[in-house]
Amino acid sequence: MKFAIPVMLAVLPLAAQEIKMPVSLDRLAAKASEVVDVSLDGALLQLASRFLSEKDPDEAHVKRLVGGLKGVYVKSFEFEDRDQYKESDVEELRTQLKAPGWARIVSSRSKRNGDNADIYLKTDAGQISGLAIIVTDPRELTIVNIVGSIRPEDIRDLGGHFGIPKIDINPGKNDKKDKEDNR
Amino acid sequence: MDDFEKQLKDALTKKDPSPFFEARVLGAVKRQALEHRASSRMWWASAFAAVLLVITGSAWQHERTIREEAAGKDAKARLELALKITSVKLQRISRKVEGI
Repeated sequence: MKFAIPVMLAVLPLAAQEIKMPVSLDRLAAKASEVVDVSLDGALLQLASRFLSEKDPDEAHVKRLVGGLKGVYVKSFEFEDRDQYKESDVEELRTQLKAPGWARIVSSRSKRNGDNADIYLKTDAGQISGLAIIVTDPRELTIVNIVGSIRPEDIRDLGGHFGIPKIDINPGKNDKKDKEDNR
Repeated sequence: MDDFEKQLKDALTKKDPSPFFEARVLGAVKRQALEHRASSRMWWASAFAAVLLVITGSAWQHERTIREEAAGKDAKARLELALKITSVKLQRISRKVEGI
Protein backbone atom coordinates (compact mmCIF):
# COMPACT_ATOMS: atom_id res chain seq x y z
CA MET A 1 0.00 0.00 0.00
CA LYS A 2 2.83 2.40 0.89
CA PHE A 3 4.18 1.98 -2.64
CA ALA A 4 0.86 2.93 -4.21
CA ILE A 5 1.39 6.69 -4.09
CA PRO A 6 4.95 6.70 -5.56
CA VAL A 7 3.79 4.31 -8.30
CA MET A 8 0.80 6.55 -9.07
CA LEU A 9 3.04 9.63 -9.14
CA ALA A 10 5.44 7.85 -11.50
CA VAL A 11 2.63 6.76 -13.81
CA LEU A 12 0.77 10.10 -13.88
CA PRO A 13 3.20 11.96 -16.18
CA LEU A 14 3.16 9.00 -18.56
CA ALA A 15 -0.62 9.00 -18.59
CA ALA A 16 -0.58 12.72 -19.37
CA GLN A 17 1.99 12.29 -22.14
CA GLU A 18 0.08 9.28 -23.49
CA ILE A 19 3.07 7.95 -25.39
CA LYS A 20 6.46 7.50 -23.82
CA MET A 21 9.43 8.74 -25.79
CA PRO A 22 11.98 5.90 -26.06
CA VAL A 23 15.13 6.41 -23.99
CA SER A 24 17.22 5.51 -27.04
CA LEU A 25 16.14 8.81 -28.63
CA ASP A 26 18.09 10.77 -26.04
CA ARG A 27 21.29 9.07 -27.20
CA LEU A 28 20.65 10.35 -30.73
CA ALA A 29 21.12 13.92 -29.57
CA ALA A 30 24.89 13.37 -29.43
CA LYS A 31 24.97 12.31 -33.10
CA ALA A 32 22.56 14.97 -34.37
CA SER A 33 23.64 18.27 -35.86
CA GLU A 34 20.38 19.90 -34.79
CA VAL A 35 18.13 18.89 -31.94
CA VAL A 36 14.77 20.29 -30.94
CA ASP A 37 13.25 18.98 -27.76
CA VAL A 38 10.05 20.68 -26.66
CA SER A 39 8.11 19.38 -23.72
CA LEU A 40 5.11 21.39 -22.59
CA ASP A 41 2.72 19.88 -20.07
CA GLY A 42 -0.71 21.26 -19.23
CA ALA A 43 0.57 23.80 -16.71
CA LEU A 44 3.20 25.19 -19.11
CA LEU A 45 0.65 25.34 -21.92
CA GLN A 46 -1.66 27.36 -19.67
CA LEU A 47 1.22 29.66 -18.80
CA ALA A 48 2.16 30.09 -22.48
CA SER A 49 -1.49 30.70 -23.30
CA ARG A 50 -1.58 33.63 -20.87
CA PHE A 51 1.04 35.34 -23.00
CA LEU A 52 -0.91 34.90 -26.23
CA SER A 53 -2.72 38.09 -27.07
CA GLU A 54 -6.47 38.11 -27.65
CA LYS A 55 -6.08 41.19 -29.82
CA ASP A 56 -3.76 39.57 -32.36
CA PRO A 57 -5.97 37.33 -34.56
CA ASP A 58 -3.22 34.71 -35.08
CA GLU A 59 -2.37 34.52 -31.41
CA ALA A 60 -6.05 34.48 -30.44
CA HIS A 61 -6.56 31.51 -32.78
CA VAL A 62 -3.61 29.65 -31.28
CA LYS A 63 -4.88 30.50 -27.80
CA ARG A 64 -8.21 28.83 -28.57
CA LEU A 65 -6.38 25.86 -30.05
CA VAL A 66 -4.14 25.48 -27.02
CA GLY A 67 -7.15 25.72 -24.71
CA GLY A 68 -8.07 22.13 -25.53
CA LEU A 69 -4.57 20.72 -25.09
CA LYS A 70 -2.99 18.91 -22.17
CA GLY A 71 0.50 18.47 -23.55
CA VAL A 72 2.75 19.16 -26.52
CA TYR A 73 5.90 17.08 -26.94
CA VAL A 74 8.23 17.41 -29.93
CA LYS A 75 11.57 15.74 -30.54
CA SER A 76 13.36 16.46 -33.77
CA PHE A 77 16.84 15.39 -34.83
CA GLU A 78 18.70 16.39 -37.97
CA PHE A 79 21.90 14.59 -38.91
CA GLU A 80 24.83 15.55 -41.14
CA ASP A 81 25.27 11.95 -42.23
CA ARG A 82 22.72 9.40 -43.37
CA ASP A 83 21.38 6.52 -41.27
CA GLN A 84 22.48 7.74 -37.87
CA TYR A 85 19.49 6.15 -36.18
CA LYS A 86 18.01 2.67 -36.37
CA GLU A 87 14.45 1.73 -37.17
CA SER A 88 14.41 0.02 -33.76
CA ASP A 89 14.72 3.50 -32.16
CA VAL A 90 11.30 4.33 -33.58
CA GLU A 91 9.81 0.86 -33.36
CA GLU A 92 9.16 1.15 -29.62
CA LEU A 93 7.11 4.23 -30.39
CA ARG A 94 5.16 2.58 -33.19
CA THR A 95 4.36 -0.32 -30.83
CA GLN A 96 2.85 2.12 -28.33
CA LEU A 97 0.76 3.60 -31.12
CA LYS A 98 -0.78 0.20 -31.82
CA ALA A 99 -2.56 0.39 -28.45
CA PRO A 100 -6.36 0.59 -28.40
CA GLY A 101 -7.66 4.07 -29.11
CA TRP A 102 -4.84 4.93 -31.51
CA ALA A 103 -5.36 4.71 -35.26
CA ARG A 104 -2.97 5.48 -38.08
CA ILE A 105 -4.83 7.86 -40.38
CA VAL A 106 -2.04 8.68 -42.82
CA SER A 107 1.00 6.70 -43.85
CA SER A 108 3.36 7.89 -46.52
CA ARG A 109 6.36 5.89 -47.77
CA SER A 110 8.93 6.85 -50.38
CA LYS A 111 11.36 4.19 -51.57
CA ARG A 112 13.05 6.72 -53.79
CA ASN A 113 14.32 9.09 -51.09
CA GLY A 114 13.42 7.19 -47.91
CA ASP A 115 10.95 9.80 -46.65
CA ASN A 116 8.37 8.20 -44.42
CA ALA A 117 5.59 9.82 -42.46
CA ASP A 118 2.80 8.55 -40.27
CA ILE A 119 -0.02 10.40 -38.58
CA TYR A 120 -1.87 8.76 -35.73
CA LEU A 121 -5.00 9.93 -33.96
CA LYS A 122 -6.23 8.87 -30.56
CA THR A 123 -9.93 8.89 -29.92
CA ASP A 124 -11.88 8.47 -26.72
CA ALA A 125 -15.64 8.02 -26.97
CA GLY A 126 -15.62 9.43 -30.48
CA GLN A 127 -13.64 12.51 -29.50
CA ILE A 128 -10.07 13.18 -30.63
CA SER A 129 -7.82 13.09 -27.57
CA GLY A 130 -4.36 12.90 -29.09
CA LEU A 131 -2.22 13.26 -32.16
CA ALA A 132 1.11 11.68 -32.96
CA ILE A 133 3.32 12.24 -35.98
CA ILE A 134 6.43 10.29 -36.90
CA VAL A 135 8.51 11.64 -39.77
CA THR A 136 11.65 9.80 -40.77
CA ASP A 137 14.11 10.25 -43.57
CA PRO A 138 17.77 9.21 -43.79
CA ARG A 139 18.90 12.49 -42.24
CA GLU A 140 15.99 13.37 -40.02
CA LEU A 141 13.77 11.99 -37.31
CA THR A 142 10.85 13.98 -35.94
CA ILE A 143 8.32 12.82 -33.41
CA VAL A 144 5.35 14.90 -32.32
CA ASN A 145 2.87 14.00 -29.64
CA ILE A 146 0.02 16.34 -28.85
CA VAL A 147 -2.30 15.37 -26.02
CA GLY A 148 -5.79 16.80 -26.05
CA SER A 149 -8.54 17.76 -28.39
CA ILE A 150 -6.88 18.68 -31.67
CA ARG A 151 -7.38 17.96 -35.37
CA PRO A 152 -4.31 17.68 -37.62
CA GLU A 153 -5.75 20.23 -40.02
CA ASP A 154 -6.05 22.77 -37.19
CA ILE A 155 -2.28 22.80 -36.86
CA ARG A 156 -1.56 22.32 -40.55
CA ASP A 157 -3.66 25.39 -41.34
CA LEU A 158 -1.52 27.52 -39.04
CA GLY A 159 0.85 27.72 -42.02
CA GLY A 160 1.13 31.34 -43.09
CA HIS A 161 0.16 32.56 -39.62
CA PHE A 162 1.89 32.94 -36.27
CA GLY A 163 5.31 33.02 -37.95
CA ILE A 164 4.80 29.54 -39.41
CA PRO A 165 5.78 29.14 -43.06
CA LYS A 166 3.05 28.13 -45.49
CA ILE A 167 3.90 25.32 -47.83
CA ASP A 168 1.87 25.07 -51.00
CA ILE A 169 -0.07 21.84 -50.61
CA ASN A 170 -1.08 21.83 -54.25
CA PRO A 171 2.18 20.71 -55.83
CA GLY A 172 0.65 20.31 -59.28
CA LYS A 173 0.00 24.03 -59.59
CA ASN A 174 3.40 24.82 -58.13
CA ASP A 175 5.25 22.48 -60.48
CA LYS A 176 3.43 24.03 -63.47
CA LYS A 177 4.32 27.50 -62.24
CA ASP A 178 7.95 26.47 -61.68
CA LYS A 179 8.13 25.07 -65.23
CA GLU A 180 6.67 28.30 -66.60
CA ASP A 181 9.09 30.35 -64.55
CA ASN A 182 12.03 28.32 -65.90
CA ARG A 183 11.10 28.94 -69.52
CA MET B 1 -20.91 73.31 66.75
CA ASP B 2 -23.06 70.80 64.96
CA ASP B 3 -21.93 67.62 63.26
CA PHE B 4 -21.61 69.19 59.85
CA GLU B 5 -19.31 71.94 61.07
CA LYS B 6 -17.18 69.35 62.87
CA GLN B 7 -16.84 67.25 59.76
CA LEU B 8 -15.95 70.31 57.70
CA LYS B 9 -13.30 71.39 60.20
CA ASP B 10 -11.79 67.90 60.18
CA ALA B 11 -11.73 67.86 56.42
CA LEU B 12 -10.03 71.22 56.19
CA THR B 13 -7.45 70.51 58.84
CA LYS B 14 -3.93 70.40 57.36
CA LYS B 15 -2.53 66.89 57.47
CA ASP B 16 1.05 65.88 56.89
CA PRO B 17 1.56 63.49 53.98
CA SER B 18 2.40 59.91 54.76
CA PRO B 19 6.13 59.03 54.75
CA PHE B 20 7.70 58.61 51.24
CA PHE B 21 4.65 60.25 49.62
CA GLU B 22 6.83 62.48 47.47
CA ALA B 23 9.03 59.57 46.41
CA ARG B 24 5.95 57.53 45.52
CA VAL B 25 4.48 60.37 43.43
CA LEU B 26 7.79 61.01 41.65
CA GLY B 27 8.20 57.24 41.08
CA ALA B 28 4.73 57.02 39.61
CA VAL B 29 5.41 59.96 37.28
CA LYS B 30 8.74 58.46 36.19
CA ARG B 31 7.10 55.06 35.65
CA GLN B 32 4.38 56.65 33.53
CA ALA B 33 6.98 58.50 31.45
CA LEU B 34 8.93 55.25 30.91
CA GLU B 35 5.77 53.36 29.96
CA HIS B 36 4.82 56.11 27.52
CA ARG B 37 8.30 56.06 25.97
CA ALA B 38 8.22 52.25 25.69
CA SER B 39 4.79 52.25 24.06
CA SER B 40 5.94 55.00 21.70
CA ARG B 41 9.00 52.87 20.76
CA MET B 42 6.75 49.86 20.29
CA TRP B 43 4.52 51.90 17.97
CA TRP B 44 7.45 53.04 15.86
CA ALA B 45 8.86 49.51 15.75
CA SER B 46 5.46 48.16 14.60
CA ALA B 47 5.14 50.89 11.98
CA PHE B 48 8.68 50.19 10.75
CA ALA B 49 7.99 46.44 10.63
CA ALA B 50 4.76 47.07 8.69
CA VAL B 51 6.53 49.32 6.17
CA LEU B 52 9.35 46.77 5.85
CA LEU B 53 6.78 44.01 5.32
CA VAL B 54 5.01 46.01 2.61
CA ILE B 55 8.33 46.82 0.85
CA THR B 56 9.55 43.19 1.07
CA GLY B 57 6.15 41.91 -0.10
CA SER B 58 6.09 44.31 -3.05
CA ALA B 59 9.66 43.40 -4.02
CA TRP B 60 8.85 39.68 -3.79
CA GLN B 61 5.67 40.16 -5.84
CA HIS B 62 7.62 42.18 -8.44
CA GLU B 63 10.35 39.53 -8.59
CA ARG B 64 7.70 36.81 -8.91
CA THR B 65 5.95 38.68 -11.73
CA ILE B 66 9.25 39.09 -13.59
CA ARG B 67 10.10 35.38 -13.15
CA GLU B 68 6.58 34.34 -14.20
CA GLU B 69 6.74 36.61 -17.24
CA ALA B 70 10.10 35.17 -18.28
CA ALA B 71 8.80 31.61 -17.83
CA GLY B 72 5.62 32.48 -19.76
CA LYS B 73 7.53 34.03 -22.66
CA ASP B 74 9.85 31.02 -22.74
CA ALA B 75 6.87 28.64 -22.78
CA LYS B 76 5.25 30.70 -25.55
CA ALA B 77 8.45 30.58 -27.63
CA ARG B 78 8.67 26.80 -27.15
CA LEU B 79 5.00 26.44 -28.08
CA GLU B 80 5.59 28.48 -31.24
CA LEU B 81 8.54 26.26 -32.15
CA ALA B 82 6.56 23.06 -31.51
CA LEU B 83 3.60 24.30 -33.57
CA LYS B 84 5.92 25.46 -36.34
CA ILE B 85 7.60 22.05 -36.62
CA THR B 86 4.27 20.23 -36.42
CA SER B 87 2.56 22.50 -38.95
CA VAL B 88 5.43 22.26 -41.45
CA LYS B 89 5.51 18.47 -41.14
CA LEU B 90 1.74 18.21 -41.57
CA GLN B 91 1.81 20.55 -44.56
CA ARG B 92 4.57 18.45 -46.19
CA ILE B 93 2.63 15.24 -45.53
CA SER B 94 -0.52 16.86 -46.99
CA ARG B 95 1.43 17.97 -50.02
CA LYS B 96 2.81 14.48 -50.49
CA VAL B 97 -0.55 12.75 -49.98
CA GLU B 98 -2.44 15.19 -52.20
CA GLY B 99 0.27 14.92 -54.82
CA ILE B 100 -0.21 11.17 -55.20
